[in-house]
Amino acid sequence: MALASSSYPVAGAQTHGEVDRLYAETRDLRLNGFLLFMVSDLVLFSSFIFAYLYLRNSGQGWPPPGINRLDVAFAAFNSVVLFGSGTTMHFALENWKHGHFMKYANWLIATIVLGVTFLGGQGYEYYTLMARLHHTWSGSGIFGASFFTLTGMHGLHVFAGVCFLTVLLMQSVMGKYTPQKYFGLTAGTLYWHFVDVIWVLLFSIFYLI
Amino acid sequence: MSVAVHGEVHGGGVADHIHPEPQTFVRKYIFSIDHKIIGIQYIITSFVFMGLGGLLAELIRVQLMHHSGALVNPDTYNELYSIHGSTMVWLVIIPLLTGGFGNFVFPLQIGARDVAFPWLNMVSFWIFPPAGLMLYSSFLMGAPVAGWTEYPPMSLQGAAGTSMWAAAIFLIGVSSTMTGINFLVTLLKMRAPGMTFTRMPLFCWAQFATAPLLMIATTALGAALAALFIERQFGVPFFDPTKGGSPVLWQHMFWFYSHPAVYIMILPAFGMISEILPTFARKPIFGYKMIAFSSVAIALLGFMVWAHHMFTSGLAPWLQLPFMILTFFIAIPTGIKIFSWLTTLWGGKIQFSTAMLFAVGFIATFTFGGITGVFLAAVPFDLHAHGTYFIVAHLHYVLVGGSLMAILGGVHFWYPKMSGRMMNETLGKWTFWLFFIGFNGTFIPMHWLGLLGMPRRVATYDPQFQTWNIVATAFSFVMTAALLLFFINALYSLRNGRKAGPNPWNARTLEWQIPSPPPYYNFKHVPAVFAAPYDFAEPLPYRGLEGELDPSVPAPVPAGH
Ligand SMILES: [Cu+2]
Repeated sequence: MALASSSYPVAGAQTHGEVDRLYAETRDLRLNGFLLFMVSDLVLFSSFIFAYLYLRNSGQGWPPPGINRLDVAFAAFNSVVLFGSGTTMHFALENWKHGHFMKYANWLIATIVLGVTFLGGQGYEYYTLMARLHHTWSGSGIFGASFFTLTGMHGLHVFAGVCFLTVLLMQSVMGKYTPQKYFGLTAGTLYWHFVDVIWVLLFSIFYLI
Repeated sequence: MSVAVHGEVHGGGVADHIHPEPQTFVRKYIFSIDHKIIGIQYIITSFVFMGLGGLLAELIRVQLMHHSGALVNPDTYNELYSIHGSTMVWLVIIPLLTGGFGNFVFPLQIGARDVAFPWLNMVSFWIFPPAGLMLYSSFLMGAPVAGWTEYPPMSLQGAAGTSMWAAAIFLIGVSSTMTGINFLVTLLKMRAPGMTFTRMPLFCWAQFATAPLLMIATTALGAALAALFIERQFGVPFFDPTKGGSPVLWQHMFWFYSHPAVYIMILPAFGMISEILPTFARKPIFGYKMIAFSSVAIALLGFMVWAHHMFTSGLAPWLQLPFMILTFFIAIPTGIKIFSWLTTLWGGKIQFSTAMLFAVGFIATFTFGGITGVFLAAVPFDLHAHGTYFIVAHLHYVLVGGSLMAILGGVHFWYPKMSGRMMNETLGKWTFWLFFIGFNGTFIPMHWLGLLGMPRRVATYDPQFQTWNIVATAFSFVMTAALLLFFINALYSLRNGRKAGPNPWNARTLEWQIPSPPPYYNFKHVPAVFAAPYDFAEPLPYRGLEGELDPSVPAPVPAGH
C-alpha cells in the first residue's frame, strides 16, 4: 500500500541511468552542506560588521581623529577587478558544462589572475595606509580593529579562493571532472561569487557611507 | 506489499550508501566514521570532562564552607569557577546533547545509514578532545579569571591562559558548526522513505531545531572570541574603553551566541524527555505537533532576546522593554511542552524505571528553574538579583536540574542500545534519589542567599551567609556520590549487565527495531515509514524490517567501492 504518500523515489535497478541519478543526488547533498557552510561564514562576517558599526557609532566621530579618509577611487578600481573575476568565473563554468575545455581553462586562468591582481591592490592599499599609521595594526585604534580585521578576513577568503581555483584547474586537467559531474567546479564558482558579495558589503560600509 | 519492502529503498541523498565494514581496531574505534561510534566517543569524552568540571565544583563548594575562604586565595578561586563554567557548558552539556546523543540516536531514528558527511563528523569529534586539553592547559599559564562569560576589561587583563581559553573555545565552536551543518543536511535529506517531517520522532525535531543554532550561534561566538584573541595578542582595540573600544560590544557579541546556546543545551534534552515519557507511560505523546513546533519557535525566539543579560549594562530603557517582553514570550512554547508532558503522564500506566524517574524529575526541577527565569526576565527583579547567587541557583536549576537530569535519563534509556546490556536498576534508582536530593539541597539555598544579597563569583563572603553555604556544600557531596554511583553502574554493567536484546523498553522508534548494539550498516533494508511512532495501540508503522533481527538475512553489500 501507500508508499505513494512518500515523496521519496525508490531506487532498485542498477542501470546506468539509475547510477547517474544517484550521483546527482549525492552532489545535491554536498551542495546543501556547502551552502550551509557559506551561511555560517556569512554569520562570521556579519558579527564583525556589527562590531564595526557599533564602534563607528560609539560617538567618537568617523574616521577617528588622526585617520585620513580612505582612497575611494583606488578601491573602486580594485572592486571592478574583483567583480570582473566573478564574470570570468561564470563563463568558465558555462564553458565546462558545454564541453569547451580550452575556453574553460582560459576563463578560469583569467579568474585566477584577476584574483591575484585584487590581492596585490589590497596589499598596496594596506601599505599606503600603514605608512601613515606608523606601520602597526594596533596603532590604528578602532579604525584598524574594524577595517583591517574585516578586509583582512576578506583578503584571506580571496587568497583561499585563488588556491581553491588553482586546485580545481589542476584537477580538471587531470580529468577528475566531466561535463556531467563537476561538483567541485560548482562549489568553486559559488564560493567565488560569495567572496564577491561579501566585498560588495564591505565596500559599501567602508567606502560609501 | 509494495516493492519498497524488499527492494532497496532509497531515502534521498546517499541514505543507502553503505560503508564497508571497518577492519582494523583503529578504523573501528578510534578514527571511526560511524555515527554510532562517534556518538559514543563524544559521550565518553564529555563524561571525562564532567569528572574534571565536577572536581572543580567541589573545590568551589569546599572553599565556600567558611566565610573567609577555606581553601584557596581569591585569584585561584576565580580560575576555578571560570574553568568550571566553561567546562560544563562547552565540554560537557553541549557535546553530550549534540555530538553525543544527537550522533548516536537521531540517524537511527530517521532510518539513515549514517549522517550526511561521515568524514566531517569524524573531524568534528577529533577537534574536541584536543580543544578540551587546551582549555585545561590554561591552568599552567594562568587560567582565565572573569568567569565563563569573560567580560572585558577583566578578560583583557587576565593572564596568558585567557588567550588559550579563547582559542580552545573557538576550536570547539568550529567543531559545533560542522556538526550543525552535518545534522541539518542529514535531517533534511536522509530520512527514510515515508518519514515526513510530521512523522519524525520528537528527538529528531529537537535536533532539527538545534542544528541551525549550532551552525549560526557558534559562528557568532567564534567572531567574538577571535576579536578578544586579536585584542589580547596584537593590541588591536575592540573592547578596551581607554583605546576607543567598548566592553558592552563584547556583551552583545557574546550573548547573541550564548542565549541561543542556552537552547542548544535544553532543546535536545526536551527531545529526550519526549521519547522517554510516552515509552514508560505506554501512552501516545500528547500534542505531538505542539511539542515539535514549539522547539522551532523557541529556537527562533532565542535569537531575539540576548540583551536580557544586559539590563544592568547601561542598555537604553526603551530597548529593555522589547527584550523583556520577547523573553516572556519564550515561556509560552516552553509552557506548552510542560503541559503536553504532564498530559502524557495523566492516566498512563506509568512504569518507574530509572530513565522515567529522571524524566519526571526533569519536569519538576526544570519547571522550577524556568519560573525563576521568568522572574529574572522582568527588568525590575533582575536589577535586584543580577550578579547574585539567585542567578547561580537559576542557571543550575536549568542546566543541572534540566539538561544534566535529562542526559542521565537518556543514558539509562539508550545504554542498552549502545552497549547491548542493561544498566543495574537498583543502582540506577539509588543514583536518581541521591542526585535529586543532593541537587535540590545544593541549589535551593542559593535562591535565598541571592535574594539576601550574596554576590556570585567571590571567594569570601559576609558571615551572615555561612549556614546556608555549609548546607549547600554538604548536599553537593550527596550529588557527587550519586554521580560516582552512576559511573560505577555504567562501567559495571558493560560487562555484567543483563543482555538487553533489541527492544528492552518495548519502545516504538526505529532504533529499537534493530539489534543492540546496531551493526555498522544500521539497517539491512532501509525501512518505509507510515506514521509517527507514538500510537501505542497500533502495530508498528514500519515496513521492511522483517529481516533485521534474522541472522540468516545477509548484511547489505557496499555498492560502488
Ligand atoms: Cu539568555
